[in-house]
Amino acid sequence: MRQFLYDRVRPIILYALAGFFVIWTVAPVLWIATMSVQPEINYVSVPPKLSLADVSLRWYGEMLAQADVAAALQNSLIIALSTMVLCLVFGALAAYPLSRLQLPRKNWFLTVSIVSRMIPSMVLIIPMFLIMRQLRLLDTHLSLIIVYTTFLLPYVIWMLKNFFDQIPYALEAAARMDGCTRLGALFRVMIPVAGPGVVATAVFAFIGAWNEFLFGLILSTRFAVPITVKLSALVSSTFHSDTSLVAATGMLAIIPVVALVFVLNRYIVRGLVEGVKY
Amino acid sequence: MSRVSLRGLAKSFGPVQAVKDVTLEIPDHAFVTLLGPSGCGKTTTLNMLAGLEKVTRGEIYLDDQAVTQWAPHERGMAMVFQNYALYPHMNVFGNIAFALQLAKVPKPQIKERVQKVAKALELEALLERRISQLSGGQQQRVALARAMVKEPKVFLFDEPLSNLDAALRTRMRSEIKKLHQQLHATSVFVTHDQEEAMILSDYIAVMREGLVVQYGPAEDVYRRPQDIYVATFIGKPRMSTIAGHLRVNGQDGIMTFTTDGINLSWPHTPQDGSINAIDTDVQLGIRAEDARVIAAPSSQLADTFTGEVSLVEPLGSDTFVEITRGPHAITTRVEPDRHLKPQESVVVQLPRHKLHFFDAKTGKRINL
Repeated sequence: MRQFLYDRVRPIILYALAGFFVIWTVAPVLWIATMSVQPEINYVSVPPKLSLADVSLRWYGEMLAQADVAAALQNSLIIALSTMVLCLVFGALAAYPLSRLQLPRKNWFLTVSIVSRMIPSMVLIIPMFLIMRQLRLLDTHLSLIIVYTTFLLPYVIWMLKNFFDQIPYALEAAARMDGCTRLGALFRVMIPVAGPGVVATAVFAFIGAWNEFLFGLILSTRFAVPITVKLSALVSSTFHSDTSLVAATGMLAIIPVVALVFVLNRYIVRGLVEGVKY
Repeated sequence: MSRVSLRGLAKSFGPVQAVKDVTLEIPDHAFVTLLGPSGCGKTTTLNMLAGLEKVTRGEIYLDDQAVTQWAPHERGMAMVFQNYALYPHMNVFGNIAFALQLAKVPKPQIKERVQKVAKALELEALLERRISQLSGGQQQRVALARAMVKEPKVFLFDEPLSNLDAALRTRMRSEIKKLHQQLHATSVFVTHDQEEAMILSDYIAVMREGLVVQYGPAEDVYRRPQDIYVATFIGKPRMSTIAGHLRVNGQDGIMTFTTDGINLSWPHTPQDGSINAIDTDVQLGIRAEDARVIAAPSSQLADTFTGEVSLVEPLGSDTFVEITRGPHAITTRVEPDRHLKPQESVVVQLPRHKLHFFDAKTGKRINL
């Protein structure tokens, strides 16, 4: 009887829980995806009258035709990609010595860097705004890239350090014997070997920058507005607009991230689950 | 091919002194082993020699040239690591060629040199393979190839055999020995395995707690250990020791060793540089192949004692027998066809010229 419970009932419970979790996570996305391809009247009725015959991509077309939505997407892409690259470069350069060298107060530095992220962003909004105004960087890509890089870097350093820690010292020693400098060993051996971990970290930084809203709202006004802020503006003006348009814009904001994760899926899972396999 | 000289080398990691004072002259073509238990500073010494660790104090000379501050790749040395340390993101060719590519050797020449080394180590068929597709022995050969292709002045080995299973280890050990006989390259080998050290080395430096305890030709280290630590570290089975009292009084030409239940004496003829009068507590040491089990004599000889067999370990080629007398135990080697049984009473002879005496307090060798 116990064996029966274990063999038959246990997987059912586990799959039920997993299924519930998946639905919980995916349902809102599916709902917004549905909304984005149906006329509003179909899903505001009770019960909803969804119909395949009504499926249309015209709301996407309409949104993309709007110059400011396309621009916001482009802004977000520029900002997120730049943030990702900067995070990786600075992150690797910081994580490597933290992983490999005997440094005084190393753990202290790591702790402080992460504790600084415990401060609510709200608190930092005003100083950041003042700094950016002083630097005449308000409403530029650069201001958001700097802010996002600053905030994401501690996490990136922790992640990369963790991946570097898993690479045996001898591998790097071998590279140095073969003629690499320490920096050369970092770029020619450590980073390629930590590959999946580095990719996972990069995606993490990209998503972090792509999804950010608060600083985008405060630091941009016209030219550097990211898609998250644009989306919010559309939602608040939704009284006199079409909900399907908002849903389509939401989908446009989701698609690049989903696509990225989809393409790099193999590396992300390996990086996060297995760590660096050597 | 080069001479290497380490002079007063020391390395501290914070408050920890990993290497205290290491001075070694490594002659051209020699195969030298740094031997010691883990934590004795042997790997740190090797890393300093390689340039991977900065030196806290001391100098390193390569053919009379100070290289202490040189980068690792400028020293013309190649290293074989414990876990192979092959680059998993490159194939076999890439691993072997990496150093040459970094040194900007022209491509055709790289190809030629890699081919040559691959041929010598039977890796030709594997050049396109990924590292994860290789067996342990193949990985080890790639590691050797990667070192050889650089045509280094000095080969460094950091416990390259310790991760292999017993059969493979024996094979790779022979391969390294053959390699050295062919290339005659100066080699420094780090290991904690004394058997490996004896088999491979011309010279052995026994290390302990950051210091070299004894450095000399392998046979000397085995035959004339300078203290009890070296004596019991080197040799398999371990050298047997008995604590007791040694007395030589110079005039009567007799040397006596006494401890509870065992009284031994030998004629003593002092030689140049040896002590001719002593009266002190010592550890007597004797190797298994030197203690002899003899047929019971009619009257007890002065250099024998009677004991009881407590353990018999037949290896096929030899049999090792542990013989106890009171609290003391000695391991001896006997012919495999000599069938001794536990509890059997036997007579053991300890020949005068095979004995080692160490001061009970300092552990230093006493030359008699």
